[in-house]
Amino acid sequence: MAFWFWHGLRNGVQSTRYPHTSESAAGVSPGHPLSTRFPSATDAARVAAACPVEAITAVDDLAQIEHKRCVYCQRCHFGGTERVHWDSSFEWTRPHSIRARYDPLPRDFSASLHIIVVDAGDCGACLNEVKQLNNPLYNMHRLGFFFTPTPRSADVLIVVGPVSENMRGPLLKTYEAMPNPKRVIAVGACAITGGVFERTFMSAGGVGSVLPVDLDVPGDPPPPLAILHGLLVVTGRKQPVPHGMLAAGALK
Amino acid sequence: MTAAIGDTLLSFFVLCGLGLLLSQAGKRRAAVIIACLGTLCSMLLIAAAALRLIGGQDFDASLWTLNGWGALSLHLDALSAVFLFTAGLVYLSCSLFAPDYFLNYFQGRYPAGRFGALHFALMGLVVLVLIAGDVLTFLLCWECMTLLIYLLVNYEQHQQTDSNAGYIMLAMSEAGFLAVVIAFLIVASHADGFSFSALRAASVSLSNSGSGGVFVLGFLGFGVKAGLVPVNFWLPRCYTASPSAFAPVLAGVTLNLGLYGIVRLNGDLAPGHSLGAGLAALIVGSVTALVGILYATTENDLKTMLAHSSIENAGIIVAGFGAFLVFRNSGDAVPAAIALTAALYHMVNHAVYKALLYEGAGHIEASTGTRDMDRLGGLIRVLPALSVLFLVGCLAISAVPPFNGFVSEWMTLQTFLRSALLPSAVVKVVFALCGAILALTAALAVTCFVKTYAMTFLGIRRGAWTPNTILPARKPRFSLTILAVSCFLLGILPTHVIPVLDRAVQPLAGTSATAALVPPFFTATSENQQLPTGFLQDFHNLGAQTGAGLIPGRGLVILLRGSEQNPVVFAMSPSYSLIALAALLLLAWFIVGHLTRQRVTSRREVWAGGIPRLLPEMSYTATGFSNPVRVVFQAIFRPNIVEDTRETVSVHFRTAILRRRDETHLVDRLFLHPVGDAISWVARSLAAMHHGRLNAYVSYFVGFLVLILFLYRLT
Amino acid sequence: MITTPISPTGRTVSSLGADVATRFGSVITLSEGPGEDTLVVVKRASALPTLCKYLFWEAGCSFGGIVAEEQKDQWNLLYLFLLPGAGWIHLRLAFPVETRTLPSISAEVHAADWYEREAEDLFGLRFEGHPRLGDFILHDQVWQEDLAPMRLAFDPRQPRLERRPNQEWRPTLVVKDPGAFAMPVGPIYDGGLGESIHFLLETVGEDVIRAVPRLFYNYRAVEKLAEGKTVSSGILLAERFAAKSAFAHSLAYCQAVERAARINVPARATRLRVILCELERLRHHAGAIEGICQSTALSVSEAQAAIIEEELLRASCVFTGHRYLFGLNTPGGLRRDFDAESCSACLAAVNRAVEQLCRLEDRLRYTSSFLDRLEDVGVITPEAALDLDLVGPIGRASGLAKDLRAICPYASYQRFRFEVPCEMEGDGYARLRILFAETKQSASLIRQAIESLRPGEICAEAIDSVTGSALGWVEAPLGTALHYVKFGEGGRIDRYRILPPSFRNWLGLHVAVEDFAFQDFPIILATFGLSATECDR
Repeated sequence: MAFWFWHGLRNGVQSTRYPHTSESAAGVSPGHPLSTRFPSATDAARVAAACPVEAITAVDDLAQIEHKRCVYCQRCHFGGTERVHWDSSFEWTRPHSIRARYDPLPRDFSASLHIIVVDAGDCGACLNEVKQLNNPLYNMHRLGFFFTPTPRSADVLIVVGPVSENMRGPLLKTYEAMPNPKRVIAVGACAITGGVFERTFMSAGGVGSVLPVDLDVPGDPPPPLAILHGLLVVTGRKQPVPHGMLAAGALK
Repeated sequence: MTAAIGDTLLSFFVLCGLGLLLSQAGKRRAAVIIACLGTLCSMLLIAAAALRLIGGQDFDASLWTLNGWGALSLHLDALSAVFLFTAGLVYLSCSLFAPDYFLNYFQGRYPAGRFGALHFALMGLVVLVLIAGDVLTFLLCWECMTLLIYLLVNYEQHQQTDSNAGYIMLAMSEAGFLAVVIAFLIVASHADGFSFSALRAASVSLSNSGSGGVFVLGFLGFGVKAGLVPVNFWLPRCYTASPSAFAPVLAGVTLNLGLYGIVRLNGDLAPGHSLGAGLAALIVGSVTALVGILYATTENDLKTMLAHSSIENAGIIVAGFGAFLVFRNSGDAVPAAIALTAALYHMVNHAVYKALLYEGAGHIEASTGTRDMDRLGGLIRVLPALSVLFLVGCLAISAVPPFNGFVSEWMTLQTFLRSALLPSAVVKVVFALCGAILALTAALAVTCFVKTYAMTFLGIRRGAWTPNTILPARKPRFSLTILAVSCFLLGILPTHVIPVLDRAVQPLAGTSATAALVPPFFTATSENQQLPTGFLQDFHNLGAQTGAGLIPGRGLVILLRGSEQNPVVFAMSPSYSLIALAALLLLAWFIVGHLTRQRVTSRREVWAGGIPRLLPEMSYTATGFSNPVRVVFQAIFRPNIVEDTRETVSVHFRTAILRRRDETHLVDRLFLHPVGDAISWVARSLAAMHHGRLNAYVSYFVGFLVLILFLYRLT
Repeated sequence: MITTPISPTGRTVSSLGADVATRFGSVITLSEGPGEDTLVVVKRASALPTLCKYLFWEAGCSFGGIVAEEQKDQWNLLYLFLLPGAGWIHLRLAFPVETRTLPSISAEVHAADWYEREAEDLFGLRFEGHPRLGDFILHDQVWQEDLAPMRLAFDPRQPRLERRPNQEWRPTLVVKDPGAFAMPVGPIYDGGLGESIHFLLETVGEDVIRAVPRLFYNYRAVEKLAEGKTVSSGILLAERFAAKSAFAHSLAYCQAVERAARINVPARATRLRVILCELERLRHHAGAIEGICQSTALSVSEAQAAIIEEELLRASCVFTGHRYLFGLNTPGGLRRDFDAESCSACLAAVNRAVEQLCRLEDRLRYTSSFLDRLEDVGVITPEAALDLDLVGPIGRASGLAKDLRAICPYASYQRFRFEVPCEMEGDGYARLRILFAETKQSASLIRQAIESLRPGEICAEAIDSVTGSALGWVEAPLGTALHYVKFGEGGRIDRYRILPPSFRNWLGLHVAVEDFAFQDFPIILATFGLSATECDR
């Protein structure tokens, strides 16, 4: 048995230094598309038409991307001859509501945050990415973030999946069981808009139609660091990306 | 003073007889008579006992003389008075409980009148047994009492098993009675007369084997009533079958009569001198306690569980009594006195809290129609008052301060530590083992009653009963409250109880334990030299004198002081702890309240993983709760799987899994069944001789004749 | 132990078809079915159970599943059987739409149990002789029993406001011991990091006598949603309903479409598909191993396996641009090509991961406390595995060496050498050994496929209009995944049926979860490594 301890030590510290320094290891994030200006309006329209989930709207020669709808099929990037620009960062958490100002949790929570996750019809990718935060490479515990088995002690509710009808009740129960103050993060395109699962008799089409959501972490799935960014935003240790900034900032 | 005792007892018997006659009236009137006259009788009993215990004068009365048999007489000494007091207390509560039980729960399905007659007759006989001054009175009343108990147990004959339980009880009682008669005859053969005082005088001249025989016969004979291993198998069956109005009497009064017999015969009349008797009592008591609590913990029937728990308590009492015998016979009078005090204290305590629990269980059964803890649950919401009173009983029996069970169990276990004084290593080892067994018993008792309370009162309603069928706890509340308050008072004022018990202990142990157990902190000052100065100073600094101006008595601290070589002091004061506990709780309440004054509390449903609601089938059952005990002690329980079925449809589709276990009680397995088998083997062998052939019968005659002649020739 | 896959019986589908025709000639007709598979049309419903029994128990076919379909005037039920080494046989039973009852085959073919329950819940069909129908996918606590959402007339996008949930719902408990109760777990447990499943652990205290999973919390009606979608929208659903085997499912979908459209996929694409399939299997198994290590609370090994999984996710991201291999497949081939440099980088990452996994395996093998918790836990005997026709690593751990890559090759698996690991013990440790052995085979396959890559097209011409129907199959990381697609007018999907491996193996779980210690429950679950979301769809 003792040798496990030794092998564990020999591996050394492998955790990322994010958020103290930036993380740039290859493959930590698939990146995300940026709104792009094309030579002509027809090119932009062609790119918009190629998007299967109508996440791209063509405004003249600008192909404008609505990230909360994007399911990362990469058809606008690898598909045809026209390609949108691609950004490789991962800090893209934004407030859910366009109008209301986002309000982080009080300072008491900044280094001690307890999280409960609800798999509300998730495909397994977002859930797996959330689970990766526990892995030594991300090691969420070093920031004072912990998963908790009961909503009674949870401060943050992470919801993945479009909220399947069979999970609506358990999700609401979880939210109600959480003490105040509490925040809800919708992780992944499905949790934000329903994604490919749309709004049907079996899918609520996003957490927003069931619960008041505070933050969105777009992506299909968002990589672990994007979710970590979301948790840092919820504690006020990072700033959310304002609506429209990604689009405006990427104009070239 | 003795005249006052006589008058009280006379009026008791008059009232008892009046009750016996009057309760034959209609059921409503019978109930009123049981309540009124029963209460009066019980109060007279308590008064008579109190007069004896305070006055300090024995009461003697000679009834009439039978030619050749001596006089029938009554004699009330302090030992009898302690038992009489306990019986009075239990009867006081029962007399209030029983009428309600008959009127409200069974809507007159069973006549209260006949019950009333039996009730009063038994009460009178119990008193006669306790104050009998000679063997004849004692045995006569004992036998009549056994018959009455049989009638009362079978009072509600709804099931076949009930009458079986009655028969087994009767058979065992008669066997016990026979043993007791022989034991008394052995002693009486050396005495001139049948009075107890004559017997006491004669016991000195008993041979070693004679006193050994008296001990074994008396111990086992009375042990039947007291519920000792291995002669207690009738007890759980009988307690369960008896009506709920009578079960408290069984546990709180008649069980004590068995203990009274043991103490009277083996402690007072024919104590013997060997260590063996004491050690045997110690071992039997400890084993009884463990076996009792093991079966209590795994039992789901409220009444059967309480019956097993009674066995456990009787075991603890007898273990204490055994310690008393060992200490006395090895010449340590003070530890002996302490041990007997502990045993008597526990006897009183057990009677009080067990009657309380039985009455509670009776009310629960009447309200819900079930005693099965697997089907109860959630009663705290529909019977809040009863739940508080029942909790008092559970805490007391689990030996949790500030209730009475704690004091006596603490004293019993502390006495065991005194075995360090004894010279023999073997005896020390036996004490250590028995102490360990009793400690385990205490731990299991907590498990048992946590389970009982949690599965009955907490959680979700599991059975078919509905909250509408619940009878209000208004009626029996008073009878239970008397006992609950007694539990509390006996728990917090042990220093006032011990000197009273000491009056009964003193003649038996030959010395008083009061000075050792309850030091006079209230009256001792550094000047009057009642206690060593340094010692007194230490305790006064701790506040042992607090309350001296307000409360009469010697002090509020129980103390077990070590010897010179072993100057350890074990001190305990539930009275002061209660104050400290209350103060700490209050302080904590204030602090928490202050710290959280801005906190907003919100109440939500129980978190159950997100399912719509927690269903009754998803909550812990009593069986599930006690299963770890069942698994750990599998070697003792030896469960047989009598049924193991797995039903499937079309080979793979499981529709039912059923495994039923059958347990044969340890005592049944090791004692009852072998004895039964042996008897039937003998009967079978004898039956083989009765084949109906004339020649063979003639040859039996001839052979027998020859044998007789041969024997005659030899002598 | 490594064995060769189930030896093909040497029979061809046509010879089996001839046998069936001679035995059941009066009640069936033979013809060619979707995608050139053999189709047996069953003319009399009552003959169905005997016919299925013959195919499964005597002819040695594997059961694929049931595809129910409502057409305008009739029900169309396909019972899929695979003759190992030969091909697929579809039994078709058609009956008028007014008739709602048909015989149950689950008494003969036990693996059909849940498929029938599913069809009952979603279509309202009654299977006569099935012991327990109702309350399966649509939970009675949420939905009324007669919803039948897969019927043609049901519009999934219309909000369903009127609900008649059964408020008096009670679980069907099997353990009847006196004092038995059911300990509820989930659907939200383990901090929500477990998938949404509700378990009732039936117990009388201490040991669990039986565990009943209640699944389909994640049911998103993917099959209903796909109806009316185009080919290129359909693939979004195929790869997003179960992300841990996204590539395998999208490949099964693409292959179904390709067979229906009768187009040939370029050789380069088929080999790249092998690489991606095996990359996914490797990553999936690393995750499953991590789960097993976690369940036994061996933290260091858990951390090391987690690092391997994350590094494979990163390697996938570097290689394909997506950590879960989304958006790569397209009917006809692949959406993008990979250059030699990135292929060799990928191979290097894979080799590194397998090397670390080997080292981990070596250490685990000598950790007795770890093995004690896996050995003889959650045992499925070979007989039980065959009885329930378990698939994937779980079947292979119980002696059922069935692997579609070997017995019914697709993509270009027939070109490469690999072995199908197989164990006989059927306990938790056997399942772990299978996982480790398969990672090695995956690495070898990736190496072979990369070596065999030749420049060329990666996609056949775009598919615009497809007609007809076809079955696509893939050995997903968890076992046999079948996708059946039927196209209607305008090349839009009429019926899309997913038969995931988890669905089959969740049914088999009940054999492994009888009479076990409570603390073994997470271990049994982890060694099964089943995905609820893949099962739920």
